[in-house]
Amino acid sequence: MNLTVPDRRSRQDRDGFGAKLKKLISDFSIHYMWEKKWFFIAMIVGAIMLNLPNPEGLSREGMIVLTMSLVATILFVTEPIPLPAVALLIILGQVFLLGSSSSDVAKTLWNDSVLFILGSLMLAVAVVKQKLDKRIAWIIVRITGTKTSNICFGISVVSGLLASFIGEHTVAAMMLPVGITLVTLTSDDPKKVRNLAAVLLFSIAYGCSVAGIGTPSGGARNAIMIGYWREFFYDPTNPETQRFIIDYVRWMMFAYPMFLIQLPFVTLILFFTFKPEYRDLSRAVVKLRAQVENEGPMKATDWVSIILFLLVLIGWIFVSDTVGMGTIAILGATAFLVAGLVRWEDINSGVNWGVVLLYGAAISLGIEMKDTGGARWVAENFLAMLAPIGADEGFGLWAAVSVLTTAVTNMMSNGAAVAVLGPVVLKMAVVAQESPIIIGFITAISSAFAYLTVVGTPACTIVYASGYLKTTDFLAVGWKMAVVSTIIMLVAAFIYWPFLGV
Amino acid sequence: MADDNVDLELLYEKRKERYRVLVCIDGSEESYRGLSYAAEIANNANSDIILLYVRPIDQGLRSGGLQVRVARENMLSWGLELPGIKYLKKGLDQLMSRDDMASEWDEKITHTDIAGDPLGDNKIEYINEDGRSIVLKLKTATTIAAGILDQYELGPYDLIILGESGSWGGWAKSLWDPAVAEKVVMHSPCSVLVARGLERGHGHLLCTDGSESALHMVKRAGAISKRINSKLSVMAVAEDVESEDDAQKNVDAAVAELKMLGVEPVKAFTRVGNPFEEIISAGDDYSFIVVGSTGKTGLKRFFMGSVSFKVMEHAKHSVIIVR
Repeated sequence: MNLTVPDRRSRQDRDGFGAKLKKLISDFSIHYMWEKKWFFIAMIVGAIMLNLPNPEGLSREGMIVLTMSLVATILFVTEPIPLPAVALLIILGQVFLLGSSSSDVAKTLWNDSVLFILGSLMLAVAVVKQKLDKRIAWIIVRITGTKTSNICFGISVVSGLLASFIGEHTVAAMMLPVGITLVTLTSDDPKKVRNLAAVLLFSIAYGCSVAGIGTPSGGARNAIMIGYWREFFYDPTNPETQRFIIDYVRWMMFAYPMFLIQLPFVTLILFFTFKPEYRDLSRAVVKLRAQVENEGPMKATDWVSIILFLLVLIGWIFVSDTVGMGTIAILGATAFLVAGLVRWEDINSGVNWGVVLLYGAAISLGIEMKDTGGARWVAENFLAMLAPIGADEGFGLWAAVSVLTTAVTNMMSNGAAVAVLGPVVLKMAVVAQESPIIIGFITAISSAFAYLTVVGTPACTIVYASGYLKTTDFLAVGWKMAVVSTIIMLVAAFIYWPFLGV
Repeated sequence: MADDNVDLELLYEKRKERYRVLVCIDGSEESYRGLSYAAEIANNANSDIILLYVRPIDQGLRSGGLQVRVARENMLSWGLELPGIKYLKKGLDQLMSRDDMASEWDEKITHTDIAGDPLGDNKIEYINEDGRSIVLKLKTATTIAAGILDQYELGPYDLIILGESGSWGGWAKSLWDPAVAEKVVMHSPCSVLVARGLERGHGHLLCTDGSESALHMVKRAGAISKRINSKLSVMAVAEDVESEDDAQKNVDAAVAELKMLGVEPVKAFTRVGNPFEEIISAGDDYSFIVVGSTGKTGLKRFFMGSVSFKVMEHAKHSVIIVR
């Protein structure tokens, strides 16, 4: 049903068709050009770069891939066209500009990392649909009591522990109603509970965000980095390179302690920044208890979903290095579907499939960057730029990589940031003779430091959708989080990681 | 479908005869002050008030591939309201608490999916026996400005009221991200009131340049101030001393026009100088500056800007752009 039809007709009658059409075209063209300006800017930048002579040390193919990466980055950040359309452009560019065959390009679009993203998103919907959130909330307040600070810390810890295994978006979607219910049960007037809402909701968002680094399944970016290590450095004929296969447990040894150290800082920073109006939430907790009691005792399906969930975790930890993380994620999603715990329609409408396409294309481009030598060329030149400030090796390089990743990840989704930056920083590590593992970890972990903007991390976006937070809140508290996280990570890289033998 | 179209056309024709005010509510004090102004303008049986809250459409790409709707559906199953409903209800309470808005209104709830989003658009319509209606509308759109303008397409309005969002932020900022009010004013086919520090009782200041569209503006503004019984002054600006006579003529024409409508202007004067600076400085003493929208469109507006636009951007008080 097109509601605009009668409207247009009557207005045309009034003004005369010709004049109206002229105005429509002029309005449309200026409006269109204006809305899409970044698309045209990106295309012009691309055209200019393709017509420049090749810089020394860079092959023609390298130049083309580098151009595509830069154009794609501009489009990722400014979003004049839908992001999946950028992915499609990358595919088209590989065929038309690089001259790769269509089937070859198609093959690079899928690998275990992309399968993992696909599977974990389906799994995420399945887990949220199990409606275990009320019970989790009840367990939290039973342990923490009614003091606001304890509840916030409890929420961060539980959100974090869950998110470190099943991804931050899943837990943020699950826990968001818990936070808001506690707020609305405390007071109906949003103005009286503004700071309380901020503290509770950020406890969820940041609890999830800091946890995303904990395990490979905590976020797409981790899976992407593991894929890059394998792709770049692993050579099946050379047993030396076996150390570049980072399995689930090994990743956890590197990153999980960092997540645990960060947790108390989340609550401290939040209470320092927003001073909540209510120090005690006993009124809300009593009402919450009544709501949970209405649910009745745990049902058989609840237990089945918990067992399936635990089996997926066990699968990831123990067998993912033989069959692949993606396989386990797909297996988990399939199990939920077979058990009838989630409907396909729910999964279909709850997953944005464009993301899978997007990551597939970004990783494919990243691998092209390596194959054509584009990544190495950028890495060498970037290092040459860093040399005068002493950041071309050791600790300086680590800090530089971390700052670069944090800056990029605040502007676009963190998975895309790792996919785009990964090849370059790994090549920088090679050129500077640093450990690619440490540099890779620094990139993957720094990409979680997108605390400053709403779009930075999935958890922040979901929590912002509640309508209780302002964008300025993210800035007010985000920079403190970013500073503390960066310090903790660099200290870990300096003191702790060498013990793990990298 | 054909029947649908006929019905809609009828509805559209019917709506054109009514005085319809669209108030954009964002929860700010300013938007509620705009609402009370709307209540005064639309105070007879032949007028409707529509309260609109626009929230940006949920973007699953930003939330890591998990659609935000999963979180929203979860929230709804906890019995939590969508953002914006509270703000709209507060606006309704404000209207209902006025004496003329009796409480016995019929309620009609409609709901539309937008782009497959089950939480798309929601509408609650309150109609009293003489056909007057108040509509609460919760809308999803890609951007807030687009939502407001889409709403116009669904039914013509005579006036759009919005609170100033406070983020004009100068030229560079607006190049990057034009403020909502700016976009709405640029594209809206009807008059727009940008409420800013809205304080009543100081009357309207009409700015005319003697053009046909300005005279048309004077008529409409006269009708509005007659409705709400407000004081009215007229001014024109001459760019140099020689053309001051012309300016005086323009003012006289406007005053004559107003007298024909039965409105007696409090004050009529001319100034010499840069039009937009003079209008802004004179406007300090009034609640509203009323300007006509100039005929420039597209490229011309893009490169030269217009006095109305600059006035709206820099004035200290509320501005009405009449179309």
